[in-house]
Amino acid sequence: MSMVTFLVPGSDGPNGESLDKLGFHFAPPEVVTITVLDTFDGRLHRAGLRLQANEVRGLELVLSGEATGPAHLEVRARPRTAADLPPGPFRARLAAVTDGRALLPQLRVRTRRTSGEWRDATGKVVALAQLHDDVRILDLPAITNGPATVEIDEVPGYPKQARQAIKALRHEGLVEAPVDTLAGCAAAAGVDFAGFDGGATVPLDPEITAFDGFRSVLARLATTITANWQGTIDELDPEFLHDLRIGIRRTRTILSESKSVLPAAVLNRTRRDFSWLGGLSGPPRDLDVYILEWPSYIAPLGAEIAPALAPVREILERSRTEVHADLAAALQSDRATELIVSWSHWLTAAVDEDDLPSRADRPLGRLVAKRIRRAHDGLIERGRLIDPDTPAEQVHELRKDAKKLRYLLECFGSLLPAGPRKRYVKRLKALQDNLGEHQDSEVHVGMLRGVARQLFEADAPADTMVAIGRLTDLLDRRCLAARAEFAERFADYDSPATQQALDAVLEGITG
Amino acid sequence: MKVLAAYSIKGGVGKTSAAVNLAHEAARSGSRVLLWDLDPQGAATFYVRVKPSVKGGAERLLRKPDAFSASIRATDDPALHVVPADFSLRHLDLELDGTKKPTRRLAALLEPVADQYDVAILDCPPGITLTSESVFGAADALIVPTIPTTLSERTLDQLIGFLAEKKKAPMVLPFASMLDRRKRMQRDIAAHLLSDIPGFLPTAIPNASVIEQMGIERAPVALFAPKSAAALAFRQLWADIATRIWP
Repeated sequence: MSMVTFLVPGSDGPNGESLDKLGFHFAPPEVVTITVLDTFDGRLHRAGLRLQANEVRGLELVLSGEATGPAHLEVRARPRTAADLPPGPFRARLAAVTDGRALLPQLRVRTRRTSGEWRDATGKVVALAQLHDDVRILDLPAITNGPATVEIDEVPGYPKQARQAIKALRHEGLVEAPVDTLAGCAAAAGVDFAGFDGGATVPLDPEITAFDGFRSVLARLATTITANWQGTIDELDPEFLHDLRIGIRRTRTILSESKSVLPAAVLNRTRRDFSWLGGLSGPPRDLDVYILEWPSYIAPLGAEIAPALAPVREILERSRTEVHADLAAALQSDRATELIVSWSHWLTAAVDEDDLPSRADRPLGRLVAKRIRRAHDGLIERGRLIDPDTPAEQVHELRKDAKKLRYLLECFGSLLPAGPRKRYVKRLKALQDNLGEHQDSEVHVGMLRGVARQLFEADAPADTMVAIGRLTDLLDRRCLAARAEFAERFADYDSPATQQALDAVLEGITG
Repeated sequence: MKVLAAYSIKGGVGKTSAAVNLAHEAARSGSRVLLWDLDPQGAATFYVRVKPSVKGGAERLLRKPDAFSASIRATDDPALHVVPADFSLRHLDLELDGTKKPTRRLAALLEPVADQYDVAILDCPPGITLTSESVFGAADALIVPTIPTTLSERTLDQLIGFLAEKKKAPMVLPFASMLDRRKRMQRDIAAHLLSDIPGFLPTAIPNASVIEQMGIERAPVALFAPKSAAALAFRQLWADIATRIWP
């Protein structure tokens, strides 16, 4: 359904007179509070959707799209995530796009809305109009007004009547707005519906100094960490912690490659502090993953086993709550606050060139190419040492190496040619998937054994212990399968094709 | 998009009122709904206040690309659109017979709008004809109103038997329609259908004058008698169906 919005100048607001003459009938005005909801990273907006929670007499969700008509759903309370909604297409559409992320208010507007309908001789609605006046944008420090508007909605199948209404309003001297009322309010409030962009890539020139390039990348990562800080403390959804953790890990990777780029004093202190923070974020993320993956872990065992495993799930949930509380406390501590504030400040402050390492002014492109090559070679070298008898810890170390290489490719992505980079990352990702499967199973089996000990000591029912045994066995087998598959996956990676793909990536920077 | 067809071999069993009221309930509970009136009588189209006419009739609808999309009209509910009936649909069997793969034709017409709607509800004419076969080819589920009488039970058995012979058949979701609770025989048959027919939906639609008033009000029951037993029954029936379709 297409809509045309007209701006109404002056303070009197729209009176709908010209629409009255056409045959529109208007209901008494009503005050509506509209909240636009989206994920922190604007997934609905990116998918061309808008979710509104409209409060008039009750609460109604409206999901509208650029290419489709609106869907309406009455609810008792605003959903925290799509999972809070009743089963059905509305929830399914939202869930497919938001993927478990919290639905957060992006904009709140209170408007006096007057709805009008134009019905034909048979009583059929053939055009719709809405007048908005006294439009207030809420939750801002100062009173901010949105535009007074008239919106004309075309009713599918009846385009002529909407055209007549639009013509009448133009004749009245009203001017079409470039965007609808809510988008106009967002512009007035400085709200960007696109949400936070958590991508690591920043625009870089291979000829700038390594110091400037590394600082740009680290500043981008600091923005990501800061943006996800409060959402992690408040546990709005698991992705805040995930993105915070990735921001920290990427930062640590870049810092580990910065010995000849950043001042030693800053580097040493920051590496130490981010290592501390990274260590704290590991256990809650592991438990988040465990709980998110729980249904898929237990599904192969059959639905009847779920009740027996309920005590395990409870302990995992409890542990998760505890480690999240520890992390939240750490993030609110003086040490963490000082770290992120001073680090963000240093990344943008002027720096005395005398404090920099002597080779910090090397061209960025060549240094990055060298670092990526070194990370790749190291991965190959250490991967070749792994055989079926190698301890799991060594395989975990290899996974970390692969991640560091991946982070370098992502953080300095704008220096690398897109096509070759994509082809190379695809090969690396195939190896990472195998290493990830191995480590997740290994970590989760370890946790499960810990839980089993607790439950055994607490005289848990026999069926629970048997179910734990079956789940442990399943995860063990998954871990063994990943390990058995490693040789083949690594051989695929350690191949002339990967080497060629890497050469193409690096030639793109230096060539 | 899920395609549900209000279908019965028998006529006069409450298909159209079920199609219109379920379409309203689907839209009310968050779906974007397309109601397709395949019955040349055009009662469903009449109930939603749309003119029962399609440009170029059934022939153009079946053969011209984009004719189907162009025929879609909004009802007074923004989330409920309709493909109106046209009197030429009385020749739909003949028109289908003249197309390639007639039993897939209705599915092919719905495909281009599948992203725009969550549910399509087809109000079908009675009988087992080429049109019905094309409906079976398009539908994920048949919503089968069944008056709790021996004759209706017999036609439901016929339908289930007919579909059982097909390689790929839609889910069958019958429900008790036009139930007169004062009649013991109807109550007994409804209970027996619920226990014996797999997929039989637990909610019965009463035989109520308020449903007949749809013709005067030209609206789903819930819009003019929201607290009536019939409106509440249609709401519950949609919830039953939604649970089966989106578990």
